[in-house]
Amino acid sequence: MIQALGILRSSVMLELRQLATSRFMLMCVIVQPFFVAVTTMFMLRHRPDFDPVYVVVGAALSGIWSIVLFQGNWIIGGERGAGTLEYLVGAPSSLMLVIGSRLVGTIVFSLLSMVLSWVIGAWLFGYAITIAEPGAFLISTALALVALWATGMVLAPLGIMWRTVSTFLTVLEYPVYALSGFLFPILLMPGWTRSVSVLLPPYWAALALHGTSSGEPLELSVSVVWGLLLLSAAAAVALSWPLFRLVQRRAREQGTLALT
Amino acid sequence: MPAIELENVRRTFHTSTGVFRRRRKEVVALDGLSLAVGDGELFGILGPNGAGKTTTIKVLTTLLIPTDGSARVLGLDVVRDTQRVRRSIGFVFGGERGLYYRVSGRDNLHYFAELYGLPPDLIAHRSEELLGLVGLKDRADEKVEGYSRGMKQRLHLARALLHDPPVLFLDEPTTGLDPIGARELRDTIRRLHERGKTIVLTTHYMFEADSLCDRVAVINQGKLIALGTPSDLKGSVSDLSVVELEVFGVSPEALTRLRALESVDSVAVEQREFRQLLRVQTPHGERVVARLLETLAGVEVGRVAVREATLEDAYVRLIGRLE
Repeated sequence: MIQALGILRSSVMLELRQLATSRFMLMCVIVQPFFVAVTTMFMLRHRPDFDPVYVVVGAALSGIWSIVLFQGNWIIGGERGAGTLEYLVGAPSSLMLVIGSRLVGTIVFSLLSMVLSWVIGAWLFGYAITIAEPGAFLISTALALVALWATGMVLAPLGIMWRTVSTFLTVLEYPVYALSGFLFPILLMPGWTRSVSVLLPPYWAALALHGTSSGEPLELSVSVVWGLLLLSAAAAVALSWPLFRLVQRRAREQGTLALT
Repeated sequence: MPAIELENVRRTFHTSTGVFRRRRKEVVALDGLSLAVGDGELFGILGPNGAGKTTTIKVLTTLLIPTDGSARVLGLDVVRDTQRVRRSIGFVFGGERGLYYRVSGRDNLHYFAELYGLPPDLIAHRSEELLGLVGLKDRADEKVEGYSRGMKQRLHLARALLHDPPVLFLDEPTTGLDPIGARELRDTIRRLHERGKTIVLTTHYMFEADSLCDRVAVINQGKLIALGTPSDLKGSVSDLSVVELEVFGVSPEALTRLRALESVDSVAVEQREFRQLLRVQTPHGERVVARLLETLAGVEVGRVAVREATLEDAYVRLIGRLE
């Protein structure tokens, strides 16, 4: 347990240092939410039902999702490209623990987009950003981050296993953004898409965050949404476990841990 | 009990060619390789590119699963007891990659120390000790991206030693280093050997194997072709001398004529920019020089020297016989 905590701490620090010097990841976490927040506020600010909190939360989620999607998809491939994957796999620690800890660092880094979105709403546009249910919102934020981390845990082994899957995953940014209702209610989407949305942890994350920040009543009680959020995260982690084992086994059989 | 054992290890890879009509091809990297390395031994693996040296190291470090046969480190099977093997070994692959460039050398060591389960109160002390051992104390807080190749290689060695493993695998650790850096690294390897570590070293440099290794194995195309102490292998060419001829633009026909001479055992050609260095192994020493020059009539010949055979010549003879 102490060893796992040590790995978690050092992996988070390493990931933060690596991401802080990656221009692409900085763009994901800063530039993208900035554009999303600013353009949406300009587009919607004259509507009578405009809620700046909804836009702030939605823009933050878009930044968090982008970085989870890209870093989750590329993290193992990036280690392979840097030549460090063999040293990670060759260490006695579980690769799932190591990559999972690094993705915790990714999630911590993604919080920048939440802060930035709030700054844009409150300072740039001068809106009073008030959270309707602060306590519930905090719990929702924590659970949402867990759910997005769990999504990253599925993406990480999938992204390295098949090149075509990795390519496919990179185009999932906007579809998941729309299907999860980050900025627009999914009621605007065709009815059949709902059955896809409910399978996505980001959907439950957006539902919990929007519901508790705006105070709008949800179709389900917030505790049920939290339960489903946790359930979707647990399902994602459970799915990732055999995938990580499969990735390592296949790489050791096929000799693909290194590029050379 | 040997520290390391390979029994009939076979390892194949599959590659494919073509875009529309893909053809799968099987490449045999190790072909029934058997070896045993004693406890505390410094064991060298020599062979040309593609001989299977790195594949052997990767099987023993649990990074590759053998297609057939078995491999054990300290009595532990590398496929079944993977985690226990990993705790007992350290490994270094040649080259500059494999480090986190955007953080410092010290941060790299601290990170891997956590992955190897070092107690938190020991990590800083152990890292400092190893930074001293590999001569990186003064630059430990600089980002790795600013390190020279030699510094990165030394940092790799420090990383491999973090958990003080009894067995070390070093895959071409001095490749690409400047002569002083390579000598310092060899000195460090020698000190580790003196401390009782079992070390498996692959190298292309024969003098390195000669000066460091207790025993060497020569492998080619995944098979063991010679095994013994450097002296044993040198003994196999003790009856031979080597005539080195520096030539400019030697033709394949001239080489064929040279190889056909009764007094010539083998001829190796090394390309050096615009000239070639011919190494002719012969039992007749300087008495054959005139005959060689006669055979090379029409070819511009520069320096000519006659010397005793070395481990490299033994290696050239072994590999040359198979080609």
